[in-house]
Amino acid sequence: MTAAEEQELVEFLERDQLVADTRRPVGRMALSRRISVALWALRVFVVLVSVMVIYTFVSQLA
Amino acid sequence: MTPPPAPSLLDPTVGGDGAIALPRPPLTPEDAARSADRFRVHNARRHGRRWTLLWLLIGPGILAMLGENDGPSMISYAASGATYGLGFFLPFILLTFAMAVVCQEMAMRVGAVTHRGYGQLVLERFGPMWGWFSAGDLIFTNLVTLIAEFVAIRIGLSFFHIGAGVAALLGIVLVVFTLSGGRYWRWERIVLGMAVFNGLFLVAAIMTGPHWGKVGHALLTGSPFPGGSFNTLLLLVASTIGATVTPWMIFFQQSASADKGLTPKDLRHGRYDTIAGGVLAAVFGCGALIAGAALFGHGGSSIDGLAGAGFPGALKLVSGNAVATVFALGLIEAGAVAILTISASTGYAVGECIGVAHSFNNSTRKATVFYGANVGAALVAAAIILIPGAPLLSIALNANVLATVLLPVALVFLIMLANDRELMGKYANTALTNRIGLAIVAFISICGAAYGIDSFLQTVHLVS
Repeated sequence: MTAAEEQELVEFLERDQLVADTRRPVGRMALSRRISVALWALRVFVVLVSVMVIYTFVSQLA
Repeated sequence: MTPPPAPSLLDPTVGGDGAIALPRPPLTPEDAARSADRFRVHNARRHGRRWTLLWLLIGPGILAMLGENDGPSMISYAASGATYGLGFFLPFILLTFAMAVVCQEMAMRVGAVTHRGYGQLVLERFGPMWGWFSAGDLIFTNLVTLIAEFVAIRIGLSFFHIGAGVAALLGIVLVVFTLSGGRYWRWERIVLGMAVFNGLFLVAAIMTGPHWGKVGHALLTGSPFPGGSFNTLLLLVASTIGATVTPWMIFFQQSASADKGLTPKDLRHGRYDTIAGGVLAAVFGCGALIAGAALFGHGGSSIDGLAGAGFPGALKLVSGNAVATVFALGLIEAGAVAILTISASTGYAVGECIGVAHSFNNSTRKATVFYGANVGAALVAAAIILIPGAPLLSIALNANVLATVLLPVALVFLIMLANDRELMGKYANTALTNRIGLAIVAFISICGAAYGIDSFLQTVHLVS
């Protein structure tokens, strides 16, 4: 691909839309202790309820 | 003196130290393919061709919504109609699709602004542990749901006396065929063309000759409210929610919006796309319920009893062969489209979390993991439905319930990403969107937990 052809293609894309740019990691968000605890609580909650649903489903099959 | 605004995390001209402008990176074939699509959008916008622009920009929203009008969802709606008739569940379907539009708009917006998929952003912003938890939830629910999609195709085909082997083969051939073009645009248009046939459920509903006055009354008042078993009601409420808002839809619409090349300039059309998808899916979903309601009073309340012959067989006895045929074809379509979209969301999630190429704009050689996950997920699900004696309807309904139970975590991360001003800048959520989003999370958590806990307590005989 020539430089002119590349330039023409790039015109229709946003700069941060190029594959090389979307591969660039955006960096970690600093989570407060309160948010971390809330996320873990939600995680434990959904795992517990999922186990209950799966147990019920398997019991109904038996 | 006010400090200058922090540089956006997405600005490629700003280096990690915030100072040096970077040279433009080399273009890839994926960039070239996306640029060709954006060229047409650019031209339509420049020449004021509004309808062309709309045609070019629709896709991810309609596909997410109609993809979620999948086999288990339509069976779930029809089961609600068969069990309770017209009433509470008609407006409830509209409510759940309104919730879906709010969530999917956020996913579309984050994808268009950041050009990154959901899995990639969760992994990078919250760390690998949360990223892999999200991807793990998605892959697990996707596998269960994919099994249910093959089940739907199997139920539909069995009405025409075609066996499970053909259902499995049909699904796999479709996945391989749609993946073979190496272009997002081609994949999207093929699946959109197939998704139009989701309207068959509306046709089936009209053909059953429902009392439209009762339909209107049910839509406006939500009555009669369902009676009978509280646990069955909870199961249908949870599975109806799981039929409209699911983790894979969030992964899919955000990743597909980025893959399609949407930008902040396209947000208005992205919203049209999402709302149009929501409206169409709600109408067709109500169609499935109305068609199922024809079985109300004809043994329709015995949901398990319908599992063997399936809804088409039961409809044939009550409403005639034509209605049953249309419903069976609808189930085949619903299962087929969902296999394509759910497999795609699996491919996006795996590719994003591993950090390899994850775009339909790549060749199979360049994106082996992405295409492999697409086909692999479908292959596993297809193999499972070939097991004789599988409890078909139970799998379909429980697939939706599992999606409901696991959804709150995915939604919380989506809301956090949509509020992330370093990523989203002026496109971040408004206070109103946040309030609605958190209300949806609370509502879905309560419904999913209510069914899970009540069923569990009944199973271990702690309540009767």
